Formats: sequence, structure tokens, C-alpha cells
Amino acid sequence: MPELLVLVAVGAGTYAMRAAFLVPARPAPPAMARVLPHVGPAVLGALVAPALLAPHGAVTVAGTVPGVVAAAGAWLLWRRTRSLPVALFGALTLALLTTAVFR
Amino acid sequence: MSTCGTTPGTPATVTSPHRRAIKDSVAVIVAYLPFGLTLGATLASTRLPGWVAWASSPLLFNGATQLVAVTLLDGGAGAVLVVAAALVVNARMLLYGASLAPYAAEWPRRWRWIGGYLMTDPVYALAVGRFRAPDGGGGARERLVYYLTVGVTLCLAWQVLTGAGVLLAGVLPDWFQVDLAAPLTLLLLLLPMLTGRAAYAAAAAGGAVALTATALPLGLGLVVGAAAGIAAGVAVDAWRRRTPRPEGVPDA
Repeated sequence: MPELLVLVAVGAGTYAMRAAFLVPARPAPPAMARVLPHVGPAVLGALVAPALLAPHGAVTVAGTVPGVVAAAGAWLLWRRTRSLPVALFGALTLALLTTAVFR
Repeated sequence: MSTCGTTPGTPATVTSPHRRAIKDSVAVIVAYLPFGLTLGATLASTRLPGWVAWASSPLLFNGATQLVAVTLLDGGAGAVLVVAAALVVNARMLLYGASLAPYAAEWPRRWRWIGGYLMTDPVYALAVGRFRAPDGGGGARERLVYYLTVGVTLCLAWQVLTGAGVLLAGVLPDWFQVDLAAPLTLLLLLLPMLTGRAAYAAAAAGGAVALTATALPLGLGLVVGAAAGIAAGVAVDAWRRRTPRPEGVPDA
């Protein structure tokens, strides 16, 4: 099972990265403390934007428009309801409808 | 700042940390249903034995990493390339750990070892959203209970969902493959973090740079985008600290 061994190696490496700063939990030096508050927004922004706007690796009308419509819908619904399930399922419905239009 | 369907303004003392954690987790699990099942079906469609592909769920506990690792293995990539690509995609876990560390400093060490295993995108986003609330998510103990409950609940759900996806491969209807469900969930976990101009700048710069860098190999676009976003957040913070604000203009 060479594939399983590779997956075990990836798992070990991933765990090492997850634990590297969490387990020692030393107080962050001042330079680090200035950086850390921006980690959440920056990383999630970098994860979300390509997945929504270029779902198949490139910006295309059929791929991008449903993502834009769904993201705008999610944002509006979240502002009004502050509810993750409501905003998510509203946005997914919008995405399915928009995708159907471009099919 | 409240996350995930809690009524705004509800005092945190009313809900115990694990009840709140389960409530927040259930919303995320429902949101991850399509992604988990589809990912399981994708894992089963590779030439790897089904159980080996599924073993990536307990070993990696992160959908994006599993997809990268298993599709590269399926394509016959060498072990070194697979490990390198997956670890580049996962470099953000270092930042997640550093960002949670100040809130975890008072947790017993053994729970920090276990907490490391449970740290993945939605767990991090829910926890940091909760810990940055005005009440700080309660004391160290409440924070630990919240984090572990969210982590264990999402981790168990992920094993079941991806396992079900492996078994249901070929039975799932086409329309069920909702590629947008996972990024939309992360978007909805990002929105409560946007509490000021620096946060907006970090998210916008991170998103824009990652989008223009999608062509980079090994998932480096995510790393470059995250670095640009953090730099933008730091820059806006520094600029705002140097520029005195006129009276009566609120922050954000």
C-alpha cells in the first residue's frame, strides 16, 4: 500500500504544522502579535475568492456568474438574518438557479 | 460578534459552551453535507482502493488537502511531490495555530496536543469568531470546551460524511454536486471577522491576489494570497495608527 504510506506522511506533516505553534502556546513576540489578527480574514479571503470566482481554475461566464450571484446573496441574507443556514441555503438555491440558466 | 444563527445580543452566560458549540457545529455540518458526500464520491472514483482513499479523512481531516493528495496519487505523482503539494496547501495551519495560541495558553498541554489534530478551516473560523467576541468566549475553560466540542463534532461528522460519499459513489445525482457549498460556508464564517478596515483590506487583498495567482502550481496561489492579505491588514493597521482620526468618526 504505497499510497497509504504517502497519506500517512502527509498526515504527519499536517499534524506537525497544526501543532507547531498551538502546543508551545508561547506569548507571541510584538511583531508576530501585529500580524496574527489578520490571519483569519486574509487566509479565508484567499481560500474563498478563487473557489467562488474561478471554480474550475479560470474566470468564465458560466463558472463565475453563479459564484458572484451566490456570494452576493449569501452576504445580503447574512446581513439580514445573521443565520448561517438561512444564508447558505438561500445562496445555494441562487447558485443552482443561475447555473441552470447557463446550462 | 455572534456566529451562526445565535440571536445577536444574547448573553454568552445563557448558553453553556458545549451547547453553543454543538449548535454552531450543526449549522456547519449541514453546510458541508454536499461537499463531504461529493468528496467521498470523488475519492471512490480514483484507482486507489476505497478504504485507502477514505483513510485520508482521519489522516488529513481537511477536504482541500485530501483532494490534492488523492488526485495527485491517482495521477501517479511521486511521493515527494504529493507530500510537498499537500503541505504547501496546508501551510495556513501554521498561521491558524499561531493565531489560536494566545487563547490556548492556559489549556492543559495534553489538550493542546489533541487540539492540534482537530484544527481545520471551519473549526478555526468558528473558534476564532467565538474567542474574539466582546466577552472573549468566556474563560480559558469555556474556550477549551467550545473548541474541543466543535472539533470533535466536525471531525466525527467528516468521517461519516466522506465514508457515506465513498459508499454512495455513482448513486449521487448530478445536481447534488454543489461545488460552491464549501467556499460559501467559509465566506459566511469570514463575514463576522470583517470588523474593521484592516480586516476588509486583508480579506480583499488575500482574495484578489489568490485569484490572480490561481495558475501557480502546488496550491502556491493560496500561500501568496494569504501573505498579501496579511501584509495589507498590517499596512492598514499601521497607517490608521499613524493618522489621527477626526472626532466622532467611528472605527470601521
